[in-house]
Amino acid sequence: MSLLSLTLLAPLVAAAAILVLRRASAALALAGVLLGFLGAAGLLFGAARGDLLQAALPGLPQMPLRLTAGPLTALLSALVATVAALVVVYAVGYMRKDPEKPRFFATLLFFVSAMQALVLAGDWITLLAAWELIGFSSYLLIGFWHGREGVAGAASRAFLYTRSADLGLYIAAFILIGSAGTSEISAGLTTGGVAATIAGLGLLIAAMGKSAQVPLQDWLQRAMAGPTPVSALLHSATLVAAGAILLIRSAPMMPAGVLTLIALVGGVTAVITGLMALAERDLKRLLAASTSSQYGLMLLAVGAGAPIAALLHLLAHAAIKSSLFLGAGVFQHDRDSTNLSDLAGAGRARPGIFAGFALSALALAGIPPLAGFFSKDAIIAASLAAPGALWLVPLALIGTVLTGAYMARALRHLWRGKPPGRAERAPWMAAGMGLLVVPAAVLGAGFPAIEGLLNAAPPGGEMAVALGLAAAALGLLAGWFIPAPRLLGGLLPWAQGGFAVAGGMRGLVLRPALAIAALTETFEQRLYNGALATGRAMLSLGRISRETDETGIDGAIFALARRTRETGARARRLQSGLIHRELALTVLGIALVTAVLLAAPLYS
Amino acid sequence: MFPLLTLATFLPLVGAASVMGLAGRGGSRAHGISIATTGLVFLVTLAIWARGTAPGGFSQIEEITWIPSIGAAYRLGVDGLSLPLILLTSLLFFLSAIYSARVDDRPATYVVLMLMLETASLGTFAALDALLFYVFFEVSLVSMYFMIAGWGHEDRQRAALMFFLYTLLGSLPLLLAILGLFLGSGTFDMRVWVDAPQLSGLAAMLALIAMLFTFAVKIPSFPVHTWLPAAHVQAPTVGSVILAGVMLKFGTYGLIRFAFQMTPAAFSQAALVILVFGVFSALYGAFAALAQSDLKKMVAYTSVNHMGYVVMGVAVAGLTVDPQLRAVALDGATLQMISHGLVTGALFFLVGMLQDRAHTRAMDDFGGLLGRVPWLGWAFILSAFASLGLPGLAHFPAEFQVFLATLNIQPWAVLAVLAIVITAGLYLRAIAAVFLGAPNDKWAAMPDLDRRELWVILPLLALIVAVGVAPGMLLGMIHATMAAL
Repeated sequence: MSLLSLTLLAPLVAAAAILVLRRASAALALAGVLLGFLGAAGLLFGAARGDLLQAALPGLPQMPLRLTAGPLTALLSALVATVAALVVVYAVGYMRKDPEKPRFFATLLFFVSAMQALVLAGDWITLLAAWELIGFSSYLLIGFWHGREGVAGAASRAFLYTRSADLGLYIAAFILIGSAGTSEISAGLTTGGVAATIAGLGLLIAAMGKSAQVPLQDWLQRAMAGPTPVSALLHSATLVAAGAILLIRSAPMMPAGVLTLIALVGGVTAVITGLMALAERDLKRLLAASTSSQYGLMLLAVGAGAPIAALLHLLAHAAIKSSLFLGAGVFQHDRDSTNLSDLAGAGRARPGIFAGFALSALALAGIPPLAGFFSKDAIIAASLAAPGALWLVPLALIGTVLTGAYMARALRHLWRGKPPGRAERAPWMAAGMGLLVVPAAVLGAGFPAIEGLLNAAPPGGEMAVALGLAAAALGLLAGWFIPAPRLLGGLLPWAQGGFAVAGGMRGLVLRPALAIAALTETFEQRLYNGALATGRAMLSLGRISRETDETGIDGAIFALARRTRETGARARRLQSGLIHRELALTVLGIALVTAVLLAAPLYS
Repeated sequence: MFPLLTLATFLPLVGAASVMGLAGRGGSRAHGISIATTGLVFLVTLAIWARGTAPGGFSQIEEITWIPSIGAAYRLGVDGLSLPLILLTSLLFFLSAIYSARVDDRPATYVVLMLMLETASLGTFAALDALLFYVFFEVSLVSMYFMIAGWGHEDRQRAALMFFLYTLLGSLPLLLAILGLFLGSGTFDMRVWVDAPQLSGLAAMLALIAMLFTFAVKIPSFPVHTWLPAAHVQAPTVGSVILAGVMLKFGTYGLIRFAFQMTPAAFSQAALVILVFGVFSALYGAFAALAQSDLKKMVAYTSVNHMGYVVMGVAVAGLTVDPQLRAVALDGATLQMISHGLVTGALFFLVGMLQDRAHTRAMDDFGGLLGRVPWLGWAFILSAFASLGLPGLAHFPAEFQVFLATLNIQPWAVLAVLAIVITAGLYLRAIAAVFLGAPNDKWAAMPDLDRRELWVILPLLALIVAVGVAPGMLLGMIHATMAAL
């Protein structure tokens, strides 16, 4: 319990402290992520000893919020904490001169908290809440330099894409809570039948949004408008990982049909975004496309029935890709650009950083004994063993060839080109990146321990090793020696256009939505005018009745009053005030009354 | 027991009387009295909250005989449905009083109208006698009419008249329904009507239809919502806050208290139709909001969307026999009323603050304001994300429960969940147009929120986060009542 709260709350408290104090933000951020790291490490040790830490917090009635630190979740929590700590170390250097540093660190730490809540979630509501909150903090971080052109659009797009896909998670959560009668994830995963199929499809859609899978891949490349540490943490190792994590956790529930679809989505993404990476002219966007492609390989593994292979690749990729991004950030600082042509030769100016970058690139391509070699072999082996091997193996292998090709291309651009100038020292950035390159290189040695912890063995075999090595080598050589346009041939314009079909999201979703909105507005105007016309009609009805009143009833009443007044005026003439005339009238009156009385017997 | 409910309900009238007594002494005195009175009322409602409610049935009953021959009496009381709304009402009036401290156009009259409106609103939620309820319900219209007509914007006369005619005509059927229920039971005691259905068959259905018509206008639900954007755009800021935050809840409160509780069998029969209207309103409101470029009108249309979810929640509750699911749906619908009051209140205040500074509400007139007015900008961003249903903020727990119940009762109706993407899109567009991007030099001298404005907005933001993170503080009370319905 205390370890759970340390893991979750240390970054959150640090974020709040930074926002309140507005100074010493870097030191507070370091303290927050280091404490969080200690908590996560404690959880992992506990899980290795066989503990199952759980906590329930008050949430909705009969649906408490739950946190669970079992083997898988503790491992993922440790991964998040490690990458976060090292990226913050790097960011201390990267953001040194930025005046809005407190806001940056506070948002980054908030993100880390939300991500920890996501991996440790024990119920669907916590998972869904954390899932949306990491999307929100990603929006804030992509939009960090909100005054720059194009940034607002990139941030909005990222949030909208992922939120649209999140509907899948909403639906899946509603179905699974409804059918299990509780919001616990472990109970929901025992669901079967049609409910499991629909929920599984929902989860797949949600994962496609977060992990930037085809056709929802476009937001990730635009997200590179944010600061580079954000790209390293969110858009390679954590936020994007959430999609794969979700599918790895829910793999036991997935029916065969959904698994096939997952593999298909992953395989197609691995190839398509791999081609996009090869065609890219910007280093950060190349790495972003590569991220989509690698997560495609992970989905392929999940779909092939080997979530453990996906998990191993997720761990390896987290270390590899974040160190690649951190390296790209150093070069970006040197050249004030991430355009590949501007970065020509940037690697020579910083041989140390370039060596780390190259090591990670080779690890991603799958060169032994680096981490990516083992995980990629596991994926290829999984596809060989899967029922759909006939089409899964080619997709996995093409993905691997493309990985080698685009990484070799990036290395070549960084190494060749104009002679280097002197670069100023960047100790924080070098430290953060250096510490990430180490696991990128040697994590493979730890895989058996992880497999033991999770009690799952990935598929293997010489066939997979041979195929994987051949594909990696082929890709690296082709990427280094053959220019990308020649490699891509007729696919080049497609790859540069992001393989947008029918106008992409803009044409398929945005325009119809705006058209419906415009239609609604037109209708709304009619409705309003209709209501107004009805109101006017009623008012004129009122006016008619007023006129009737004035000319008719009022007229009658006024006429009556007028006649009374006239009668009165006539009567007044009798009241002249002249005594003699009054007396005469009185006598006349008395005479009349007397006459009437006297005459009474005659007519009674 | 000291009659706290009566005190809270009529304290504003005492304040109004003292303002009238001191007429002509300048605006600051009137505003001082208004802030003190509404603040006191807020404290009294907190005390009412501290006394708590009992699960099942009403508590803190205050009763005085009035017209015994027809069973009408002065009856007040609260349960888990009305108490949260009473708290919301007193809070929003208190903050509105602080916000309007700068109104210098006939301040005494303005304050008197606002205080009268507070009495009417609190009375509407607290009344347990149908005749009393109807009186409060109608009186609120009058104050709001004069508020819009007297202190509104350019086209206020027409909007005020439309609002008045619409809602006045709309409330006549309710009177018929109340008379019908009276004839069936011989009393105006709402507790009797709630405890056992007094009408059945055709009579119950006719009464339900009459009530639904009234409340649909008030909620407002498609297609009788057209008064809402017009009234909101023209109303003064406080008018919009009270209208959206408090008065729309008359409709949803009536939907549960009258339609759902008093004619349950007829409600279940009609629930599918009501659900269709709810789903359509939710989607329609979202798309209509997407089409707006006027910030205030946009926020107004999102009310149609959010109140549509409330209608959905109540409708699916009428469609299920599973008590647990029904409680989830009603919990969500009730919490959604509170969340909408807090979030939309905050948004209308913020748009008002922006309009006070710029004298325009068109989002394309702005740009890059976040660097210029960070407090205003971040407050708007937080409120906007709350409105689009971000977890950790007020709307999420409410909407989650409504959708959860909907999917498990009428799966097709969860179609309305699409609206959360539309609202996300429209708020992100508004944020990007007003606060992000290159700064517009026109507003280089715009001042950030001053202390008075922070006093208005910070409590709302804090509560938006509090309800989102710990909905239990309200849901405990709501659930105890709803589980017993």
